[in-house]
Amino acid sequence: MADADVPTQKDVVPSAEARLVPPAPTLEPALPGGTVPVGIPGRTAFERSRTIVVYLLLFGIALLYFVPFLWMISTSLKTLPETAYFSLLPKHPTLHAYREALSTFHFARYAANSVGLAATVTCLNVFLCSLAGYAFARLRFPGREVLFILVLLTLMIPDQLRLVPIFVMFTNWHLLGHYHGYVLIKLASAAQLFLMRQYFLTIPRDLEEAAKLDGAGYFKTFWKVMLPLVGPAIAAIAILEFEGTWNDFFWPLIIFNTAPDHYTLPVGIFSFVSEYQTLWPQLMASSVIAIAPMALIYVFFQRYFVAGMASAGVKG
Amino acid sequence: MSATAAAREDRPGRGFGSERVREALVGYLFIAAPMVLYGILFFYPIGYALYISRYDWGVLGKIDTVGFGNYRELLHDHRFGIAVKNGLKFTLAFTICSMALGLFVAVVVNNAIRFRGFFRSAYYFPSIASSAAITAVALFILSADGLFNQITGFDRAWFGESGTALWALVGLNSWTTSGMVMLFYLAYLQSIPTDVYEAAAIDGAGAWRTFWKITFPLLRPGHFFVSTLLVIGGLKMFDQAFIASGGSGGPNNSTLVPVLYLYRVAFYDVRFGYAASVGIALMLIIFGLTLLQRLTFGRTDAN
Repeated sequence: MADADVPTQKDVVPSAEARLVPPAPTLEPALPGGTVPVGIPGRTAFERSRTIVVYLLLFGIALLYFVPFLWMISTSLKTLPETAYFSLLPKHPTLHAYREALSTFHFARYAANSVGLAATVTCLNVFLCSLAGYAFARLRFPGREVLFILVLLTLMIPDQLRLVPIFVMFTNWHLLGHYHGYVLIKLASAAQLFLMRQYFLTIPRDLEEAAKLDGAGYFKTFWKVMLPLVGPAIAAIAILEFEGTWNDFFWPLIIFNTAPDHYTLPVGIFSFVSEYQTLWPQLMASSVIAIAPMALIYVFFQRYFVAGMASAGVKG
Repeated sequence: MSATAAAREDRPGRGFGSERVREALVGYLFIAAPMVLYGILFFYPIGYALYISRYDWGVLGKIDTVGFGNYRELLHDHRFGIAVKNGLKFTLAFTICSMALGLFVAVVVNNAIRFRGFFRSAYYFPSIASSAAITAVALFILSADGLFNQITGFDRAWFGESGTALWALVGLNSWTTSGMVMLFYLAYLQSIPTDVYEAAAIDGAGAWRTFWKITFPLLRPGHFFVSTLLVIGGLKMFDQAFIASGGSGGPNNSTLVPVLYLYRVAFYDVRFGYAASVGIALMLIIFGLTLLQRLTFGRTDAN
């Protein structure tokens, strides 16, 4: 009774299956208007005005959420004097700000760093997390449960506590200002391991046993039989990891602080803001460069973002 | 690593005794890399933080043993007090604003008969955009001659005045986080059985009443889950405050939030020992608040 209402992550995320497939929109709206039985007088008129109000609200909210982004894009296409005029459409759209951001202010370099780091971290983590997730879900070894609890415990340790010790350790190990120092920090991601384990638990055992009867070893079973079955989970953790690394500001700031040629896009934006705050078109162009790739990925793979968000929630 | 694992498995059993021993060894091998990393990058640093916090520690390492001196200093540190106060103020306002906005949007989206998936995705978009880029856009829009003032008729630099800077951060973060809050609330809204609404409709309850008397109380597990996430997230807020204030926590310490203070002690004052004790104090505050929240909500839930 007492624990019935205490939500755990399971309440929100009932199973790996449900997490990876966002709830299908139900046709019947689960609200009072939609469930009033047909035949009550005045229903249609009431329904119609209600629908209009709902859609007006929906577009109003959409405006609230998108105007800042539209303003960012519009400003990035203007020249500095033109930013004084408040028109959404630039009078003489120009890519000048982008050219300057990319070359004069080094954002081409920062973008390359961001792409390289995010891709490296994502590939390595997908491999390590799926391998370990498989082991935790399927293989039996002494201490498995205890070790898995340790994995979950890492989710509760805030980065702020790790900041000083890791900085001192990395200073001693000469990892500051190096790409591999940053990759090392990002390689320990328990949320993704957890997600993979949960997903492997939902795969029926029959296939594995068939593979074993055929004489396939453990790694071969994992690689050839199991991995192809967990495609959606792989996609979800890959996108989550890529997004997390691409948008990460805290660790690149600390690791690359003294190495400006290693800056990623977010750190580049910070250093630009502190030096030339009012060069708005260039700043907005660099913001577009930082946001657009994520936006593109989001448009194509948005259902995996929803899946990833659930575990980002776990991360806290 | 993978290659050796594969090679080993191709030789059935030899040298490893029974199948069970083999399975255990393969299991350890598969989890070895992440476990070692967790050890080095999570568990060891906790102990190391405790160790460092007992020293006066500079760029080149230990300077002096101070025992609990760092923690004693923390109790009387005026700026740490300001940082904690700012952090709590921000967290409270941010939690309430993003829950209200997220819930409102979720209820509206839940009503949409068509394009519900589209609106859901569209509103979630600010949550996936880079915090640094979003903060840059906010700096622009909320600047003295920015779009916001142009529309609303105000005339102030929202991030430039100590009276408004923290509230500008509240607005910015609530806006970006509300999409995530909306997604969680949508999941909870869809778990409410429709027959309660039918009963309310038969009783003639209007939409407003239905929301406050039925939907809102039934969402209690959702409120708890979301508020826990937001409180922890709010206390850890760093990126936006750091970028908006150029790393200073200004104007006049008004955006000096706890993590920003920690960063400044470590990298501007170069006092790693003291910074480590700030980090430990912060973690205790976060755990304490989470526990408090769990106890109070947990108790009312049990009734």
